[in-house]
Amino acid sequence: MLTELGDEGIQILVISPDPNEKSQELAQRLRARYRFLADRDLAVTRRYGLVHARGGNKGQDVPRPTTVVVDRRGIVRWLSLSDSIQVRPDPTAVARAVRQLGP
Amino acid sequence: MIRYWPALVSVLLSLGAIAGYVAFLRVHSVRNHPELYLVAFALATLIAGVAAWRAARWPNFVALALSALLLILGGYFNFVLARVPATATALRVGEPAPDFTLPDAMGAPVSLASFRDRTPVVVVFYRGSW
Repeated sequence: MLTELGDEGIQILVISPDPNEKSQELAQRLRARYRFLADRDLAVTRRYGLVHARGGNKGQDVPRPTTVVVDRRGIVRWLSLSDSIQVRPDPTAVARAVRQLGP
Repeated sequence: MIRYWPALVSVLLSLGAIAGYVAFLRVHSVRNHPELYLVAFALATLIAGVAAWRAARWPNFVALALSALLLILGGYFNFVLARVPATATALRVGEPAPDFTLPDAMGAPVSLASFRDRTPVVVVFYRGSW
């Protein structure tokens, strides 16, 4: 979980094709300072080249699980592209990547 | 009953692997090693197989069928269903992240560029819950 980073004031943007109401539910359940953003038609996901074609359980396109650390200048500094839906990056590795950017 | 302990161990190993994986799904070292449940299923299949070979009785065959089925289904899920194909991503370490604007849970537009010079941003793409 990335809650600690959120508590430190780091912006965490969580993008999915879910409608806003559903993300709101999840945000409350996790009690986390994530900002859930709705990419309903996967336009941004597509622009980022992160569409897993027909990867959903109904054969629909879904995002490829990905975590990106962007520094204050808008540069990608750390990247985790998953090749299995079962695997997520280690939150401590993400936190380390963020802290390496300095205060 | 006591002579069926290998069959019992096999079944408990299979069910324990499932229960353990689900229970510790939020522990990344468990979650990120899904092959552990496959190792458990393979071991359970081996134990039940040896038991069935030594004594052709139904508890041993039930344990063998269960563990072999879980091994096949688990392997299919892990190596086929759960695979995410590589994509031609626009993201490169050291290069700018493409800007975007998306609505947040309240419907307010949020852009990546709005955090420029203010704070690092962690962007997470997830599959959603449909």
